[in-house]
Amino acid sequence: MIVKIFEGREGHIQQKGDDCLPLSCNNDSLAGAVSQRACVYSGARVVLNPLTDALHLVHGPIGCAAYTWDIRGASSSGPDLYRNSFSTDMKELDVVFGGEKKLAAALRELADRFHPPAIFVYSTCIVGIIGDDLGTVCKKAAEELGIPVLPVKSEGFRGNKNEGYKAACNALFELIGTRDYTPKSRYSINLLGEYNVAGDVWSVKPFFEEMGIEVVATLTGDARVAEIQRAHAARLNLVQCSGSMTYLAKKMEEKYAIPYKRISFFGLQDMASALRTAAEFFDSPEMKEKAEEIIVRETARVTPRIERHHARVSGKKAAIYMGGAAKAVSLVRAFQEMGMDVVIIGTQTGDRDDYEKIAYIVKDGTVIIDDANPLELKELLIKQGADLLVAGVKERFLAYKLGIAFCDFNHDRTISFEGFDGMVNFAREVDITINSPVWQLPVKRESPIAGRSDLTISAGVEDVIQEPCHS
Amino acid sequence: MLSKSLATVNPCSMCMPMGSVLVFRGIENCMTLFHGSQGCSTYMRLYLAHHFREPVDIASSALSEKGAVYGGAANLKQGLRNVIKGYNPKAIGIATTCLAETIGDDVPQIVREFQAEEPLAKDVTFISVSTPSYAASHEVGYRVALKNLVQTLARKPEPGGGRTSGLTNNGRIDGRINILVGSIVSPADVRYLKRLLDDWGLGYILLPDISETFDAPLSEDMPRIPLGGTPLDDIRDSANSKATVTIGGLVQEPGAGDFLKKEFEIPHTPLPLPIGLEYCDRLVACLEELTGEAMPEGYERERGRLLDTMVDAHKIVADARTAVFGDTETVLGLTRLMTELGMRPQIIATGAINPAFAEAAAKLAPDSRIMTGADYSEIAEEVSTRGIDLMVGPFTGRQTAKKEKVPLLRVGLPNHDRFGASHQLMLGYEGTMHLVDRLANALIESKEGGPA
Repeated sequence: MIVKIFEGREGHIQQKGDDCLPLSCNNDSLAGAVSQRACVYSGARVVLNPLTDALHLVHGPIGCAAYTWDIRGASSSGPDLYRNSFSTDMKELDVVFGGEKKLAAALRELADRFHPPAIFVYSTCIVGIIGDDLGTVCKKAAEELGIPVLPVKSEGFRGNKNEGYKAACNALFELIGTRDYTPKSRYSINLLGEYNVAGDVWSVKPFFEEMGIEVVATLTGDARVAEIQRAHAARLNLVQCSGSMTYLAKKMEEKYAIPYKRISFFGLQDMASALRTAAEFFDSPEMKEKAEEIIVRETARVTPRIERHHARVSGKKAAIYMGGAAKAVSLVRAFQEMGMDVVIIGTQTGDRDDYEKIAYIVKDGTVIIDDANPLELKELLIKQGADLLVAGVKERFLAYKLGIAFCDFNHDRTISFEGFDGMVNFAREVDITINSPVWQLPVKRESPIAGRSDLTISAGVEDVIQEPCHS
Repeated sequence: MLSKSLATVNPCSMCMPMGSVLVFRGIENCMTLFHGSQGCSTYMRLYLAHHFREPVDIASSALSEKGAVYGGAANLKQGLRNVIKGYNPKAIGIATTCLAETIGDDVPQIVREFQAEEPLAKDVTFISVSTPSYAASHEVGYRVALKNLVQTLARKPEPGGGRTSGLTNNGRIDGRINILVGSIVSPADVRYLKRLLDDWGLGYILLPDISETFDAPLSEDMPRIPLGGTPLDDIRDSANSKATVTIGGLVQEPGAGDFLKKEFEIPHTPLPLPIGLEYCDRLVACLEELTGEAMPEGYERERGRLLDTMVDAHKIVADARTAVFGDTETVLGLTRLMTELGMRPQIIATGAINPAFAEAAAKLAPDSRIMTGADYSEIAEEVSTRGIDLMVGPFTGRQTAKKEKVPLLRVGLPNHDRFGASHQLMLGYEGTMHLVDRLANALIESKEGGPA
């Protein structure tokens, strides 16, 4: 066991090469361990919030809405209703007498004020406890208002983020197929699990279009309600964030006979193979040729810019801690492209298949960790000698305090990492943080009077350590 | 005037447990645990990490469906055990969430059981506070956490026994003064207050002290719990002080200071936050009266520099129509400063529901539109009709500011999109001086068509 801080966490941490059982995962977080995970509601919010023209109403006390208001980097090319925070702001009396009436009235009022094409209503912890019938209220409101009003069953305590993904997918599934559509191209796809963080999708979509493919809907980055409603018309689903959207892809396959393929738009290899996957699926020689042309052209265009950074980061050690496993896996490949070693890899919500895949692609000695916490991360980062942590904002300041470089690869990142240009950005991000001069500044100041016996004041002047904390 | 909307659109306040973290983090070697579902801890950690740019560890009892149905005692006890094993804290602040409150867990009782059962709990102080999100805002969470903290710990010495903590921090034995920070300020603000009191040579107990814990220096060894914070012994000893002064207690319901007065007959003076010349002078006068010691000469010169700055800026800021919003005490301090400068606050708003605030604001700026329990959609409506030159408040006002093309000066928590929230000094003569500079510059830049 490489770190042992909390009893009951043993099965969640292993080092590749250990002769051990499959990693424990996808269960409740350990109380008191300061898990980096959020809740069911958070999972649902992550998936649905990028839908730009929908109204997202949080049925619960103000906190759940306040902490999720406009905190994400999901960009819009048009509407910005999703950047607002709507809450029923439940008070003590609502908890005692039930919040259904308030919810129904709030729905009427908000529909009247903002004219959204659809409303998502998220349930929070106490709604589950007091037993408000969200389904019935939403159904009635939908009839009255003439727009879809979709309940999202996301009571925080009913599991982890994965349950929230499912709740969100169920709401999306209700929306899909409610608008007739015939794609203009005979080749049509949906992009699932693509959230347009920092405008990612805009550096991906044009290539599909260049190949003659129509992107019917992106779920849910920069999406409009109408696009989701006609998503059933596409012929293929490309699934990027598999943890959040495989469930929906399977449901769509079952109901609409749309097959799905897992892809990733992060990293040159993955981006290339995403384009090839689509071309192969449609089995069109011209499209395959076009895909190869794009790959050669774009790779040649960005490679010199990326290689400049590669030379400066090659041989460094990276730690990865992601929400979902799909991104983590893509990152491993990207670091291989950059000549870096992955020494720690973990996720909040990976499942057994994910961890098997991860264990397969990482080198011996890499630590694999499920549902980590700050104390374990801290110890692992030090023990594994990581030079860089790729994670989210909560982990950023832990890395910095340890003198370790950091790259934000979460939903609130503001720099696009997808597609060919995204890889240039990523390489630069990794380079500027690893090679920043700040890590060379001495944490301890060298005092000219250290060790002088004729001076009695020695407080704060200890042995001079010139070595920076980031070695 | 719009009738109060049924839905809140873009909240101007946060929930109760958030306030409790700001108090617990100001205690030496103290960890916070939320009794509820995992998300509450994670969301507030994220929110505070964005603001302070520090790691923020908040534990959770991580209630699941089972806990919600059968009660959360087992989870809470396991959570406490793990926090003690992982962090080795001297104290644990336990705040409830809506979930724990709604299922009706009796936290103090569960904690008593835990203390009886668990040998590890022997040397740990537990402070529990009831903070259901649906009851009130983060400001109330802050106040009740501070009150519960003092209520739990403050003790008169046993008859015949010595004082709980021996000498005061300047070596005097006569009673110290409790300085309660009654509303949320920045680490820089607390550092300033401590420096002032130290330079003055006054014996004091300042509580809560987030000066180091939310703005820790980079060091070679990162401690599991950030260093600093008010020592537990000092909090215990607050029962033996000769007076209590609450800054940022102008319009708050009874809190820690009132408890100390009632329980230990310690005179209590609630004061506004020292923002603006008058409010700063009031704090100084109060301390002089209590101690008989004059404020050090250096601070008189600082006061003079503030006044000089106010004079320098008066024409730049004159008649500027402002919208001030955020936490009640901060808003009142800012409003007072603006009126001292000849500015014209038009909108004075808070997300908190607080009638005393409305009264105080009306006295400061009788012609302004005063809003309590406000959200940003209501504030935005007022901004759009009142010809506002400058908005002053948390960064959450940015959408309104952008839409209405009004510059926003970021003051207070949360501030996620600009640097320096931890270093932003707004208290005292010096902090006020910085505020005057910033107000003037924001208006100048706005006139020049510069950054909003």
